[in-house]
Amino acid sequence: MLAYIARRVLATIPVMLIVAFFVFSLLYLAPGDPAAVIAGDQATPQDVERIRASLGLDRPFVVRFTEWLWRIVQGDLGVSIFTNLPVSHMIAQRIEPTTSLMLITIVLAICIAVPMGVVAAWKAGSWIDRAVMAFAVFGFSVPVFVTGYVLAYIFALQLDWLPVQGYTPLSEGFWPFLENLILPAIALGSIYIALIARITRATMLEVLAQDYIRTAKAKGLGSRGILFLHALKNAAVPISTVIGIGIALLIGGAVVTESVFAIPGLGRLTVDAILRRDYPVIQGVVLLFSFVYVLVNLAIDLLYTVFDPRIRY
Amino acid sequence: MKRRDFLAGSIAAGTAAFAAPSVHGQASATRVLRFVPQANLANLDPIWGTQYVVRNGSALIWDTLYGVDSQLEPKRQMVESEEHSADFKTWTFRLRPGLKFHNGEPVLSKDVVQSLIRWMPRDPLGQLIRARLDALEAVDDRTFRFRLNQPFTKMIFALGKNNTPMAFIMPEAVAKTDSFTQIKPEEVIGSGPMRFKRDEWVPGSKAVFERFADYQPRDEAPDWLSGGKKINFDRIEWNIIPDPATAAGALQNGEVDWWETPIPDLVPVLRRNRNIMVDIADPLGNIGSFRINHLHAPFNDVRVRRAVQMALSQEDYMRAVVGNDEALWKTLPSFFTPGTPAYTEVGGDVLKGPRNIDGAKRLLAESGYSGQPITVLVAQDQAPLKAMGEVTNALLRSLGMTVDFVATDWGTVGQRRASKAPPGQGGWHIFHTWHAGADCIAPASYNAVRANGDGAWFGWPNSPEVEAEIDKWLNAATPADEKAAFDGINKTAMEHVVYIPNGFYLGYQAWRRNVTGITKGPLPFFWGVTKS
Repeated sequence: MLAYIARRVLATIPVMLIVAFFVFSLLYLAPGDPAAVIAGDQATPQDVERIRASLGLDRPFVVRFTEWLWRIVQGDLGVSIFTNLPVSHMIAQRIEPTTSLMLITIVLAICIAVPMGVVAAWKAGSWIDRAVMAFAVFGFSVPVFVTGYVLAYIFALQLDWLPVQGYTPLSEGFWPFLENLILPAIALGSIYIALIARITRATMLEVLAQDYIRTAKAKGLGSRGILFLHALKNAAVPISTVIGIGIALLIGGAVVTESVFAIPGLGRLTVDAILRRDYPVIQGVVLLFSFVYVLVNLAIDLLYTVFDPRIRY
Repeated sequence: MKRRDFLAGSIAAGTAAFAAPSVHGQASATRVLRFVPQANLANLDPIWGTQYVVRNGSALIWDTLYGVDSQLEPKRQMVESEEHSADFKTWTFRLRPGLKFHNGEPVLSKDVVQSLIRWMPRDPLGQLIRARLDALEAVDDRTFRFRLNQPFTKMIFALGKNNTPMAFIMPEAVAKTDSFTQIKPEEVIGSGPMRFKRDEWVPGSKAVFERFADYQPRDEAPDWLSGGKKINFDRIEWNIIPDPATAAGALQNGEVDWWETPIPDLVPVLRRNRNIMVDIADPLGNIGSFRINHLHAPFNDVRVRRAVQMALSQEDYMRAVVGNDEALWKTLPSFFTPGTPAYTEVGGDVLKGPRNIDGAKRLLAESGYSGQPITVLVAQDQAPLKAMGEVTNALLRSLGMTVDFVATDWGTVGQRRASKAPPGQGGWHIFHTWHAGADCIAPASYNAVRANGDGAWFGWPNSPEVEAEIDKWLNAATPADEKAAFDGINKTAMEHVVYIPNGFYLGYQAWRRNVTGITKGPLPFFWGVTKS
């Protein structure tokens, strides 16, 4: 197992290199000019050109890529073109809000979606099943930003229970931290809940039709025991796969959610950087996201062995 | 404890937490002002980055030698006195005593000299001074002098103007940074009323300023960038909220105190809230711009430019940009800002009255335009520019022109507009932007109206007649001479169609009713503002 983990971790290196090459190439080829943004609208073409030269943006692709790669190898993500701050510092500033939002969303989604899917499968064809599926369709269909605005309107503006926007670090207290993340987590989690609930239901329906479930029923086991001890454990492998895939969904959704709720996370950092063509920041964040995604996939693969002892690496 | 008791207690606690009076709306004390700026404060070097938001933040951190008041008159700020020779070739200035930087060091002439040396290459008026400069020298710790080889009458205006880049005064060591290289965040050592809190800066989210106790405000009442910049807050927090609906919600909920740029669509909602005040932000407003590339056919023929000019309806543009709130816009037969000494309508008749589509078509036919595609760059991520682009698309098609509508983002427009290549090969014919009204009052620093060919702003118009009129303004010694020069510039620039102004429009600002002292102006002025 340890050898497998080591192999997988080592395998991330070529993956990251390929990602790095593609990210750099795409940004190089994409239109747009940070120097023009920096110079402002009143700047002359000559001003823009001098700023471009001072940023080193007029140098050839190979030179810039090699320099960047060499710094990455040394653990240096570079310096933001706009803020003159190290990219690692900017990422460190933003990582807590995004991680907090995603963790709360995942926990919330799993706690809601898995029981919903299980009950829907158990009561397949009933009104409960139809209600769960209707909710899932609704969750898939309504964009995150619409859910976000509606939640903010009801719970912040009308009821004044929660703030409209912002983020308070955990170090400033648990409730201030949580109250800023409740609405964003629900908004971001709606699609995720729908996805997990549907997969859970479908997988559970399959498992519940197996012979050993009929045997368990014949032995007189209670519904709760059958569902959660026997059926759910056997359905867990596809469910955990979907949860893992869903993390990519969450990263995409976090970009929108962080904008709607003005959370200073990595999503907003990415959008701001793209709009301004802040290449070092874009490259740093994309590399980080791809690294996280590789790690999540590894974690999911390892989880398979917990849920299904027949799986061995 | 029984399980039921525990659950009941938990539910009660949870309910109490939700039902407790909201604290987020009243969390900040009256000594903290929470402000939502127009854009992200991505850097704090007002010479290197000339975006308005950087200028606005910098005006808190750094002071200037002069500051314009609401009458657009430059008044003494850091300067105590000044004198110039009769021929306007020697200008001598003396600094006020007791001025300090945020690191506790005194502000000396050598700091001023170096700051101006850094500023001059980046500013159109600064470049004019530099071109005439024999020497800029520190005479003593509080006195500095310009020695010029040609007269320059606009010196005080240049040092005190509010359009970017402003001549902010920095420590000598910081100002030694090249004008085209950004200063480091740790070098943000100001001379103004507020100190920048670098340790609390989260670019894209928050910027914090704290009151600088050793700042020496002037005794006069504050008036725009002049007078006593007395700050009534210990902290001013800039919360960057990019989504307008979220910013509106935060203002309604009392999470922020002042929003610089609410969009017109949300203003009715804000007006309905009794705790919120809404008013015009900047009486100098903005001038919309239909920018033309003069280098390439068909727009290298003045007849084609005039054809579009005579067909263009400013009302169409303004309704698309601002909506039907007619208090916010008006048509503008001028390149200059209404309500200022620069404003003139001489030569602007071509933009007045019913539009002449038939005449425009005749002129186009006469020019020999044969249906070649017109490349229009339209930034989709800037609502006013997107709206202008759509009106232009309809306008050009109504004239029988073929339109290559390039829907892109502002970053790409910013890059592509610098290209002089033919439109089919990466260049362009038309793009839109707007100019802050405060920038359109002094021809020498109003890049968009210049027509000096290769040295001109994007589009590279070339008209010796326009430039001759600008020179007249530069050398004008009396207000009457200036007025004549403004008339001449407007007339010749309209005839040459340097660009087409597509209307004048204003914007709103909104704030909580418990905040007082907010004034209208080209940038947010925090001095004199209080919160109860």
